[in-house]
Parts: sequence; structure tokens; C-alpha cells
Amino acid sequence: MRLDSSRSLLIRLLMLAVLVLVPPMGLASFMALDRFEQGMNPELDRKAAAVGRDLVVQVERAVAYGIPVEKLVGVDEFFAQVLSGNPEIRYLGITGTDGTILFLRGALGGQLADHYREQAGSLSDKDGATLQIGDFVDLALPVKGRSGLVGSVHVGFDQGYISSRLFSIFYDIAVVLGASLIVAFEILLFVVVFNVSGPMKLVAEVIGQGRKGDFSHMPGIRADDEVGHFARVFNASMRKVDSAYRGLMAYIDEVRTGHFDRGAAERAGDIADRVKFLFRFDASGAPGFLREKLSSDVRLPLFLFVFAEEISRSFLPLFAQSLPRRMTLLTPELMIALPIAVFMAGIALGSLWGGAVTERLGSRRVFQIGLVPAVLGCLMSGLSQSVIELSLWRGITGLGYALVTVACQGYISKATNDGNRATGLGSYVGAVLSAALCGTAIGGVMADRIGFAPSFFVSAGLVVVSGLLLGYLLEKVPTSPDLPPAAEGDPKGLSRIFLNWRFTVLVLFAAIPAKIALTGYFFFLVPLVLWGTEHTLPEIARIMVLYPLVMLVVSYYATRFADQWGWRVGQIAVGGILGGVGILLAALFDGTWPLMLGIVFLGAAHGMSASPQLALIPDICWVECQHYGRTQVLALLRTLERIGSVVGPLLAAVFWPLWGAEGAIVAIGSVVLGMAAVFAMLAGRYGDGPHLESEEGAQ
Amino acid sequence: MNRRGFLGLASALALWTLPAAADPVQKPFRIYMALWRGWEDAAQGFKDYFTNQNIPVELIIRDAGQDRSKLPEFVAEAKQLGVDLVFTWGTTVTVDMLGTYDKVDPAKHITDIPAVFAIVSQPDGAKVVPDLSSSRRNIAGTSYLVPMETQVNLLQSYRPVRRLGMVYNPLEKNSLVAADELRALGRRDGFELVVAPVDVVDGKPVVASIAPKVAGLKQAGVDFLYIPPDTFLNVNRDILTGAALAEKIPSFAAAENPVLFSKAMFGGVYRYYTVGQLTAYKAEQILVHRKAPADLPIEPPKRLSIIINMPVVRALEIYPPMGLLGLAEVVDTPEEPRQ
Amino acid sequence: MSWSLSRKVSAALIAILASTMLLTALFGFYRFEDEVSSLVRSRYSFVAFTIKKRVEDSLNLGFALRQLRQVQDAIELEKTRDEQIVGIEIYDSRGEILFNSDRGRIGASVPDEWLQPLAEPTGQPFALMDEDSHAVGLPLVNSLGKVEGAVVLVYPAGYVERELGGALWRLAGQMAGIVVVFAVLTILAASVALSPVRRRLAAMEAALNTALGDTPAADGSAAAPEVNAEFDGNFGEFVAKAREALEHIKLSTEEVERLDRLA
Repeated sequence: MRLDSSRSLLIRLLMLAVLVLVPPMGLASFMALDRFEQGMNPELDRKAAAVGRDLVVQVERAVAYGIPVEKLVGVDEFFAQVLSGNPEIRYLGITGTDGTILFLRGALGGQLADHYREQAGSLSDKDGATLQIGDFVDLALPVKGRSGLVGSVHVGFDQGYISSRLFSIFYDIAVVLGASLIVAFEILLFVVVFNVSGPMKLVAEVIGQGRKGDFSHMPGIRADDEVGHFARVFNASMRKVDSAYRGLMAYIDEVRTGHFDRGAAERAGDIADRVKFLFRFDASGAPGFLREKLSSDVRLPLFLFVFAEEISRSFLPLFAQSLPRRMTLLTPELMIALPIAVFMAGIALGSLWGGAVTERLGSRRVFQIGLVPAVLGCLMSGLSQSVIELSLWRGITGLGYALVTVACQGYISKATNDGNRATGLGSYVGAVLSAALCGTAIGGVMADRIGFAPSFFVSAGLVVVSGLLLGYLLEKVPTSPDLPPAAEGDPKGLSRIFLNWRFTVLVLFAAIPAKIALTGYFFFLVPLVLWGTEHTLPEIARIMVLYPLVMLVVSYYATRFADQWGWRVGQIAVGGILGGVGILLAALFDGTWPLMLGIVFLGAAHGMSASPQLALIPDICWVECQHYGRTQVLALLRTLERIGSVVGPLLAAVFWPLWGAEGAIVAIGSVVLGMAAVFAMLAGRYGDGPHLESEEGAQ
Repeated sequence: MNRRGFLGLASALALWTLPAAADPVQKPFRIYMALWRGWEDAAQGFKDYFTNQNIPVELIIRDAGQDRSKLPEFVAEAKQLGVDLVFTWGTTVTVDMLGTYDKVDPAKHITDIPAVFAIVSQPDGAKVVPDLSSSRRNIAGTSYLVPMETQVNLLQSYRPVRRLGMVYNPLEKNSLVAADELRALGRRDGFELVVAPVDVVDGKPVVASIAPKVAGLKQAGVDFLYIPPDTFLNVNRDILTGAALAEKIPSFAAAENPVLFSKAMFGGVYRYYTVGQLTAYKAEQILVHRKAPADLPIEPPKRLSIIINMPVVRALEIYPPMGLLGLAEVVDTPEEPRQ
Repeated sequence: MSWSLSRKVSAALIAILASTMLLTALFGFYRFEDEVSSLVRSRYSFVAFTIKKRVEDSLNLGFALRQLRQVQDAIELEKTRDEQIVGIEIYDSRGEILFNSDRGRIGASVPDEWLQPLAEPTGQPFALMDEDSHAVGLPLVNSLGKVEGAVVLVYPAGYVERELGGALWRLAGQMAGIVVVFAVLTILAASVALSPVRRRLAAMEAALNTALGDTPAADGSAAAPEVNAEFDGNFGEFVAKAREALEHIKLSTEEVERLDRLA
């Protein structure tokens, strides 16, 4: 049932969001810039005066030694030095008493000569004069010798300088605006799905039943908006039909029980049967309410949660670096890597435990349980006074993160059926990636402004908000006890799966190196190296945002490609090699560009290979999936690849002191590329050997 | 003679005891100062440093009066007095009292008492230390010669030079070394060195040949005159710089006297006074901060003294660049008003 | 108050607009403040640097720092040139103030944290801050490369608030105005954007009412076609089925009534 194609509604609303957000931000920025420029002008005047006075003192000293003003030597170099030390000064000059330009650096004489000649007469003995020449503001200060005025020193600054300095604000504004648009998209998506498309889907289902004559259910919608109003009218109609039916049935019952004429009673019974044959009504006396779980219910809270967790992405290693390291057992680099590694270990543990616990307690409980360590971890991470403390709390945060994400995944897979599970999980991945995008970008801008620790508190606050939101949403849906796990097979003896060389190769040479690249290179080395090369936090964040951005785009097309062509193994192999090559670019070129390219390559690599990795499992582990259950096999893969997550930063931290930052990048890149190459070689043989089906017999 | 000299010295023995500012009961450090040719600026800078820093010291001052034979007596006396530190002035005093790093004899040299040396032209060349980063023994010190490269850079920063003239005494080894260094730097920087050794008659340089040599350089088209730290030229600096001025050749001096007290146009030097202060700073590190002398590098002062002789500049009308002027000390005649 | 769809959408959008505006305004303001204070600091650093140069030139001539009487005049001159300078002082490496634009402070000691930057071998400029004043400092290095002391120039903090506070509040007011204007626009636009949804819901309600209302079915079937055209087929079929059910039940009821009466 579509009211209006809800996709086009969403697009209309998105256009509205852009329309409502972008022009006022542009207008306000423009006004602010103008005001800021005006505010800085007086201070520029003073700076010019201070510089001018010092120049006058030096020129007067030379003049006093008997050097004629026009014969001063090395003025150009002298001015150049002052100009390079004071970038807001645009040019410096010396003119004679008649206003002729004797020396000038930083501007073209032609622009100024006429103005100086005009000014020359009036300057004589005053303390100085300011002149507006085009975009320049020119301050002239008299130079006096023994016999009075001998010339003047000119200090000029460019009003455009301020604009150019303030322009970098626009990057921050653009980041905030971009993130706002994504948040707006998420919220609007939520508003539309929750208020319009979700309820209308229920209505559509009821209508679908009704048009076949089944009036046993009504859409269970409680809302006081137009949809709610419609639902009430709709339900009233339903009740009307239903009550007519009840009335008839009651009447018939009365006739059948009360009537002395058996024949009439029988005929009444026939009528009842005919009605019941033509139409279906609820047996219990009133139409039941139809309610349904929607996979999109958890999207917004999940988005907020991941957003909160990603805030520290760009600065976690820097925060660790800034904390005192009491324990000297490990190298400083390993200490910096520790919080990331422990966080990853926390996630690994949490996922193992969460998977089992979700089946028993249901998504909502696990989500609530997971919130406690998540909030506590964020809060205490901000309060940490040492790296060990920070690592501990990151580990606990990781535990919470895993529980929450596992709960969300569980909810989605319960709310979907085989037909739309892919869409549901796609929505999950979309929410996680766009949250990573926003969180990383905003986190950098925020940490630069309010500091590392307070940023963690903001994270904690956002986690609480997402928890409240989800608590509210899940309450609206009856918590039908999650079904006991479908007898998916016996996980005992799962370790025998390693005998399947295809699985082992996939884990060792594709899944694990991908994670090593992610955590060792991207999470650990990239922020540290960028910080070490004098990049600001917002800049680091802007660079790191490239990863989720590229991944978002590439994974969208890669999934389609994989479904269409079924070239999954190839995608994994190419992705792995691409990632390794990207990281190694840092060794070939200097500067920030190779790092950025590396991040883009990595995003592309992971976007290309992540979902084919999972999709490949049923193909290469057909037997095991039958035997132990596909979920179990997938969970095993996810757990094993997290070994790479934990090892990544530690490995990078071991390389760092040996070969320096660049060496560590090259080393990590080589490891990743080497393992990917092994996978590529072995993957070529995936199709060889005993045919997949026939392996069943071999077992 | 020998004995009388020693007695004369003994009568000249003077004790400076400076009051301790911070701690009145603190015992002053006893420093044995062995000088070569009397009390001059480096010794004064050394002494003033302790005064300025309120470090109580007792200075035991001995002057060899350029007589090498007195130095073994100084060694014996310093050992007998059990002083806290020994200061040696000049290459001869330093080598004789402290030995070279490959030939140290505890009987003849001071080994147990830490020592600082000053005004040693080439601490490494004279084998006082193996290299300038560390003495690797119980001594520290300072160097005082401006490296030739720094001098050339300074000269070039005043005015690029294409043909550099140099008058020198061919009997002095220092000047020959300087000429070689200048030639090498000239190849690098693209200038040509034109040398004019003064005439030597009966093994002695002839003063009267100085002015003609300068005129000869002018004819050869030199645009700058380099005045090496040459004893003969130092004595006859007025003749040399006067001739240069008359020929309108700007002159650069590697020693301070031709600029400060004569008519050289400008110069770049480490002042003896500053070198003395830096040596005292090294002594402070050893005595007060208890640093091992071997840990202190042998280095010149951080800041070069650039001296510009303004009357000469005005006469030549070759004005210094603004940047250089800002860094320089200016010598000007009193009748000219100064800022 | 009931929350209509367009209210919900506009509330969400306005909340996002307001918080985005607030966030960027704050970031922008702090960035601006950074820019201005670095400009102010650079000016005072420049002034302090000219004093440092003068003092170091004298030190190079072999004078002791405490002997440089003429420095006192120089810093008093700089102080009179700029009324915003709180004070300029020169202290030695032990923290004793040797010269100060406020002569009464000469001989006093500087706080310990002012001595810490002197311990660093770099000789880099340093900045000191407390609640109501900022200071730029430059170590004074003698010709030996040794830090003899420092010159520190103290100026009041909060330049931006003091000098530009009024203008910035006006700017904030204008921004709030922009938010209000766009909030109103949002409400209007949201209502327009959602009007097709509203229209269709109303049309469906009308169809239901007409089809199943008390008015005879014949009217409903006359009105229905044009409305129904707007939905996809299912709703029409549903309405028809519902009416069919109602009519069938009605007929059946009449039939039972007849049976009942027959008795």
C-alpha cells in the first residue's frame, strides 16, 4: 500500500532539508565573515603601526650614521625578512620627501606612486597618515634626520588577508553542515518510516487481507497525526463491518438456539456458514491489532550510537599519546596502540558473548545491557589519567559496542524475512557507515575545540540519547519473545572447519589482513603520522572521513557487481591487493597525498571485499553450513578476523620504533600486500580440486 | 734572572675574593689562572662572569710573560695549592700545562684538577683535544677563531666580492693557511683571491712595502681587502688601513683592532671578552653544576661581533645593508651625532 | 495539540537547523577568537622582540643584564605608546625583576611558572595565561648562548569580548533572525511537501465513509471511481469488498429475519 510513493516523499523532504539548511548557513557565514573582517581591522592597524615604528627607528639610525635615505643598501632583503615574519603585512616601502618611491617590496610601484605623490605634501611633520589604496590600507610614518623630514616608511596590509585567514573556518562549517545534512537525512528517514511508511505498510497488509475478504485484523496504529486519523477512520470502518458480522452471528445464534423450527435453525446455520465461507473474521470477538517489527526501527538509534563511538576515531591514539605512561614495560608506541587493541579485543569478546545472549534474552534486553558498559566506558575514557586506565575503559566500551551492534543485527534479522533481509542488513551497514562519516568528521572539529576528554563526554551523552530512543521505540512493538534459535545444527566440532582449506585461507589471508590494515594503519598510524606532520585535528578528521565515504560508494556498486557477476573470490583478492598497494604508496612519495590515497584505496578495497567475504561462506563452506548452521560459521569468521583487529595496532607499534613512522607504514603495507598476494594465488585454485558437492561424500 | 722573575711574579700575586651573595658560609671556588702575556680582555671577561653571576671565586693569577720555562713551575704550584680548577690562556700555556691528548704525563701535566682553556687557535689541530665535541679527559674549553667560511659569508653579505685582495706577512704561518682557505672558498663562491705578500729583507718584513702592495692590489682590480689576523699587520694596521682607504678599497678585518682602533671598514670577530665569559660559563658548569668536563663541547661564542667603522664607510660611500647594520656594533667618531 | 505530519517534519528540520547554526556559530566564534588573539599576540610579540633585540645587543657588548639602565626607559616608552599594555618586565634567570614599566615592582620576584620556559634549551618564545591577562615572553640570550633572563609583556585577556562583544551579539541576533525566518519557511514548505499525502489520506477516508457510511451505497459507487483512480488497485478492491461484506451481511441479516418471522 503506497500512499504516495514514499521514496518520492523522502526525496521531496530531503530537498526540503537541503533548502532549509544550506541557504541560511550560507547567509549566516557570509554575514559573520563580513563582521569578523571589520572586527579585525583595528587590530591590523595597530600591528602595522608597531611594525612601522620599528622600521622607522632602524631607518633613522642608518640616516643618523650619515647614510642618505636614497642610498640605503639591502632594504629589499631587510623588508623581506620583516614580511616573512609578519604575514599580515602585505608590503613595505620607503619614499622620499616628494613621495617618489625609493624602495618597495610586496607590491607594484605603479599602484601606489600617484597616491604617494599626492600624499607627500600633507605628511610633513605629522605622526603618520593612513591611506586607503584599493584593497590596501597604507600607513605612512615620517622618517626624520638631523635636518628634519627625509622621507617616510610605508606599511601596507591587505584587507583580503583576513578573509583568507578566516576562510579555513569554512572547512569546519562545511563539515558541520555536511554532517547535519546526513543527520537530517537519518532523522527524516526515521520520521517518514516511523510515521508514514511503517503504518501504511501495516494498513496495506490489512487491506491486502481485506480485499480477499479477511477482516480478522486491524492495523495497530496509535498516532494523532493524519495517518492516525486515517487509521481511526479505517478501523472504524473495520469495526463497522465486524460489528455487522457480530450482530448477524448473534442473531443467527439466537435463531438457532431459540427457534423451535429445526429447519429454520438449520437454514440460519447455512447462512452463517456461507458468510463465514465468503469472509473471515476474528474468532475471538473483535478484530485483532496487527503490529509488526520493522528493521528500520533501529536505524536512527544505531546511527546515533555509532556516531557517538566514532567521535574518538581521529584522535584516540593522540589522546593516548598525551596521557602519562607510568608503566615502562612496553615501548611508548605499544602503549599508544594498547587502547585500540584492547577496544578491539573488547568487541571480539562482546560479539562472542552477545550472540549467545541475544538468543536467550532478546534484542531489547541485550541492547539495554550493552548500553551500560558503552556509556560507562565513554565517560571513564574521558576521565582516564593513564594509558592503562584508558585501555581498560576502551575495552569495556568495546564490550558495550559489540553487545549493542549484535542486538541491532539480531533485531533486524528477526524483523526481516529471507526476502528482505538483505535490504535490512544493507540499511544496517548504511547507518553504520554514514555514522562513521559524521562521527569522525565532527569528532575532529569538536576535539580541536573542546579537547579530547570532553569529546568523550559528548559521546557518552549521545549513547544515552540513542539508548532512550531505542528503549522508547522497542516498547511500542510487542516484545514477542524471540523464538528459540532455530535448530541450526550443532556447533560442537566446529573447529573441524579449519580442515576446509578454502575457509582457512579466507580467514588467514583475506579477513585478517583486511582488519590489520584497518586498525594498524588506519586507526593507529594514520592519525599519529598526520599529527606528527603538523596537521590539525579537523584536518586529520577530514582526511580520515575519506575511508567511510569511499567505502560507502564502492560497497554500493561492489555488491551489485558481485550479485550480477558472482566474481566474489576475485573481488576479495583484488581488494586485498589494492589495500596493500594503497598503504605502500606512502613509501614512494612524500607528503600527505600518498596517505590520503592510501586511505582512499583502503576504503575502496574494503568496500569491494567486505560483503563478498561473507557471501562467499555459503559457497565454500557448503557442508559446514549445513552441518553447523550458517550463522555459526559466519560468527566464527567474524570472531577470527578480529584477531587481525587486535594484532594490527600492536604490530604497527612494534614496527614504529624499528623503522620510524614511514617505515611502520611500509611494513604494515608489506604485510597486508604479502598476505593478499598469498590469498590471490591460492584463490586461483578455489575452483579446483574435488567439486564442492562431492566433498560432502568425502566427509 | 729566572729567580728574579719568579720573585717579581710572586710580588704581583693577587688574590680576588668575591663575597658570596647567596650563602655567606659558602667557600669560594679556587681557580688558578695561568696567563701568557698579562691581563687582557679574555681574562677580564672570565673574571666578570663570576662577578655578574654572584659566584664566589678566589682567583690565583700567574703570568708567564711569554716565557715558556715558567710553565712547569705553574703546574707544580697549582697541584700544591690543590685548587678547584685551572684556567689556561693560549696554545702554549695549554699544551705545556695540560699536555696533548696523546701525550699526558701526570708528573708534568695537570690531570686530576679540572681545567678550562681559552684562546687556543686550533684546539684539535694542536692536539689539546681529539675533536671539538668532547675532550674525552678532564678539561673543557672554548675556541675563538671565526671559521673562515663564516668570515667570507659575512664579507659577502656586506657586498658581493669578485676579486679579493690580501696583503700578508709571508713569514707567518697563520696567514698562509688563511690564504689557502680563502682560495678554496673562492672556488666555491666564485671570487678570485689576489695575494700580495709584503717584501722580506734579511728575514724581516719591510713596513715600507705595505702601501705599494695595496696600490698594486688596486691596480689588479680587487674590490675588497682581507686583513688576516697577522701580528706584523696588527702592529702596522694604521699604515695598511690608511693605504686601503686612500685607494678607496673597502677592507675586512679578521681581528678587532684594525676596525676598532684604525681605519678598516668592518670586521667580524669573537671578542676576547666574550670568549673569556664563555670559558667562565664552562667553569661554572664544572664547579657549580658538577658536570664532567668531557661532557662539555669545545665551542666558540654563539654570537659573532660585527663591527662597522662608520667614518670609513662614509668616506668610501659603500654603505652596509640594513640587515647587517641592525646586527652590527658601530664605531663612530664622537663629533658625528649618534642615535 | 496534535502533532500533524508536517509539524513533526518541520519540528525535526527546525531543530536540526537551530543546532547546526548554533554549532557552527560557536565553532566560528572560537575560530575567530583564535585568529584575533593570535594577531594581538603577534603584535605584542613583535614589540617584545624589539626590546629583546636591544637588550641582547647590549649583552653582546659585555654588559651585565642588571646594568642596562637605558632598557627601563625603553620599556616605559613602549608602555606609553599602547595603553592596552598592562606591563612589561625584564627578569633574570633566577626570577628577580630587574626592570619593569611599573617601577615599584623592580626587585620583586616573578611567579615560578615564568621561570620554566627559561629552563628549555630552545630559547623559543613562550605564552603565559591566567584569568584576566595574557603574556608573551621571549628569553634573553647572551652571546654565549646562555639564557640570562626574559622579557615579558603582559596584556589583558578577553580582547574579543571587550572590543567586539557588542558587534558579535548583534551578529548573533541576526543569525537568530535568519533561523526564525527559515523556520517559518520550513513550516510552510513542509506543509506543501506533505499535502499530497494529506490529500490522499483524506480522499481514502472519504471513500471509506462514502462506501461504508449510512448513506446508500449507490451514492458511494457513483463518487468512488474518480477518487479510487488515485490509489493503487488494492484499496479500491478493499473498499468494494468491505461494502460487499456489509451488504452481504445485511442481506443475510434480512434473510435470517425472514426465517425468524416465519416462525
